[in-house]
Amino acid sequence: MAHLTRRSMLRGSAALAAANTLAFPHVAKAAATTATVWFAQGFVQDEDVALRKAVADYEKASGNKIELSIIPFAPERQKIISALTSGVVPDMVDSNPGEILQLYAYQDKWVDVSDVVETQKSQFSDTALQAVQAFNNVTKKRSTYGVPLRSGVVPCHIWKSLVEKAGMKTEDMPKTWDAYFDFFKKVQDNLRKQGERKVYGLGFQVTSNGVDPWNLFMAFLIAYGGQDIVTKDGKPHLDDPKVKQAAIKAAAYLGGAYRDGYVPPSAINWNDADDNNAFHAKLMVMDVDGTLSTEVAIKDKHPEWYFNEIVTHGAPGYPNDNQGKPVPSIVGFQSGLIPKGANNVTVAKDLLKFLIQPKVLGELVETGLGRALPVMPSLGKTPFWQNPKDPHLKGYVQQGLFGPTQPDYYVYNVAMAEVRTQHVLSNAMIDVAKEGVKPEVAIDKAFKRIEEILAKYKTA
Amino acid sequence: MDSASAIDLSRPAARGLSRSLRGGLRGGEYTWALAFVVPYIAVFLTFVAYPVVYGLWMGSEPGLYRELFADPIYQSTVVNTVLYLALGVNVKMFLALLLSGFFMRPGWWSKVLLLIFVLPWAVPAISTFISIHWMLNGEWGFLNNVLYKLFHVEGPYWLNDRWTALGAVIVSHIWKWTPFWTLILLAGRMAIPLDIRDTARVDGATGLRGFVYITFPLLANLYLICTLLSTIFLLGDFTAVYFVSGGGPANSTHVLATLGIREAFEIANPRLGVAAVMSALPLVIPLVIVLMRKLRTAEVQL
Repeated sequence: MAHLTRRSMLRGSAALAAANTLAFPHVAKAAATTATVWFAQGFVQDEDVALRKAVADYEKASGNKIELSIIPFAPERQKIISALTSGVVPDMVDSNPGEILQLYAYQDKWVDVSDVVETQKSQFSDTALQAVQAFNNVTKKRSTYGVPLRSGVVPCHIWKSLVEKAGMKTEDMPKTWDAYFDFFKKVQDNLRKQGERKVYGLGFQVTSNGVDPWNLFMAFLIAYGGQDIVTKDGKPHLDDPKVKQAAIKAAAYLGGAYRDGYVPPSAINWNDADDNNAFHAKLMVMDVDGTLSTEVAIKDKHPEWYFNEIVTHGAPGYPNDNQGKPVPSIVGFQSGLIPKGANNVTVAKDLLKFLIQPKVLGELVETGLGRALPVMPSLGKTPFWQNPKDPHLKGYVQQGLFGPTQPDYYVYNVAMAEVRTQHVLSNAMIDVAKEGVKPEVAIDKAFKRIEEILAKYKTA
Repeated sequence: MDSASAIDLSRPAARGLSRSLRGGLRGGEYTWALAFVVPYIAVFLTFVAYPVVYGLWMGSEPGLYRELFADPIYQSTVVNTVLYLALGVNVKMFLALLLSGFFMRPGWWSKVLLLIFVLPWAVPAISTFISIHWMLNGEWGFLNNVLYKLFHVEGPYWLNDRWTALGAVIVSHIWKWTPFWTLILLAGRMAIPLDIRDTARVDGATGLRGFVYITFPLLANLYLICTLLSTIFLLGDFTAVYFVSGGGPANSTHVLATLGIREAFEIANPRLGVAAVMSALPLVIPLVIVLMRKLRTAEVQL
């Protein structure tokens, strides 16, 4: 009888491993055609369904295998940062959050995907093409590090039913900026007269959590003429009186509305989901919040709200500035990114080329109920987006795809990504709202801090 | 002395050293011993030593600390952390000490109460802390609605002010973790031999006197170890702050652990995040040393 010894066991294991490799050669082949992909979970299940279908279609068409992980928003962001820090990276991720594209391109952590974008370049909107550009501080050049997939702007969500309950009409809403928002103060006053104890006119995220307060402040800054806070060449203009005045006006209006009692007091500590919940609870008449998540979240459960009670922007559409000129909207993009060090860049690029085919991309946003906007103008002209019976989609696509738009400021200067995440301008808004600090003083303090942050990032 | 004789002279000593390194094991025995111990060492190096060294390396740049100390949020975070530790640990441990005495009472009802009492600890932390966050919402939260329904009183906006928000975080932590430490101290009380308690009772040490002169001295070492452990756990805990106050309003209720998360994943600067957490090391290291010393104390300290 043969005895099992250490050596015989080692010999046997080696023989088994060799036999396995010879018997199952497809395992090695599969590794070469498999890519690991991470995506942020959608706000509604339909978005994940749409993504899974697109990926399945790709697998069928290419014969490649995609190991797709759909991960909730915050954990995915943590996973991406951990992966980039450790160097153990997947083959593709989405830009979660948006500024991660510019922040890590600056550190030379993404693969240049100009060749992928080139395949559909004529289809993309100009804003989309700008938004996926970034400065690489190692090569000292700007290039394309992201592939635009979906986008979103910050629309105004309005309870038409509450406006009507206040004895007013959405058709009577003014078209210019201050008058538009003042309209909701009147709605609140009327509702209070009717005995409504806790309903507020304006859902302003006067907070320093998440992405909402930055989006809100920027919308007001641009509307008041501060669009050139950072210009396309990456240069900041904090000393431009026009920019400073606009920032002061934005802090004054947003903080003032809070102090005057037109914003729910708890807004001072809201996170990104709190304003959606508060809006659904009819705590406020209107909310300025990114994407159509507010509407699509209730479409299945409360179709009567979606179709009859809530409107996006209202009759005048997205408001003009106080002089009557259209206000550009900042568009945020979800882009596909390939980390440097990825095992299978070829398959990742191939997948991205597949996903940005207009037919695939159009289906991706439409199956996702239109929470996210398409990144190609041609895709916004479809019956889905132009449906006259839908009270949200047409106004939303008009604002985010056909109206004046621009990318976020961190696209022009990466330091603005940190200004955004440090909530420098949100804190100015809170200082005015909560502490009663003069807007001029709050903005002086904020601009000083922005200058400190800008000094940390040297761009060419 | 020539070189050959030097080698000869050193041979027995080298053999002795080699044998002592091998722990007296010979040939195949030594190989098998190595085979068993190598996986353990590999796991230890990979999952214990490497993360610690990597963390130390990530937070080793002095420039990170300059940046951290210049951050206006950092100073308030340090104050919050000290308050969170001082109140969170001590109030919780003191309550646990009292409650462990209560649950020593005989009778089925105290067992039933204990079962209900441990529920906050048994249920997942994240969902309960999110519930508390919503419960404390100023407009539509449960607490203020109850206050209004019962007393027609408009409750405060608990999470809008730094001190009430931090208070809410500390109370939530105490609520969540008191049951656990109560169980530990209850086990400690139950380990006190009955004859000691009976003898003390015969000598008239009952009630408060029994607690002061018998129970507490016997539990003192365990109580101190639990306090130290709880302090170390709490320094690294971010769930209560993260989900109850979210570090707000205006980043005024962060503790070092949540500031670390913020710097690492929201600001996307993991090195700064590690530095934020590392800045607690001057407190953690002495705590661990004291804890280790206490754990070495074998005899009961009467």
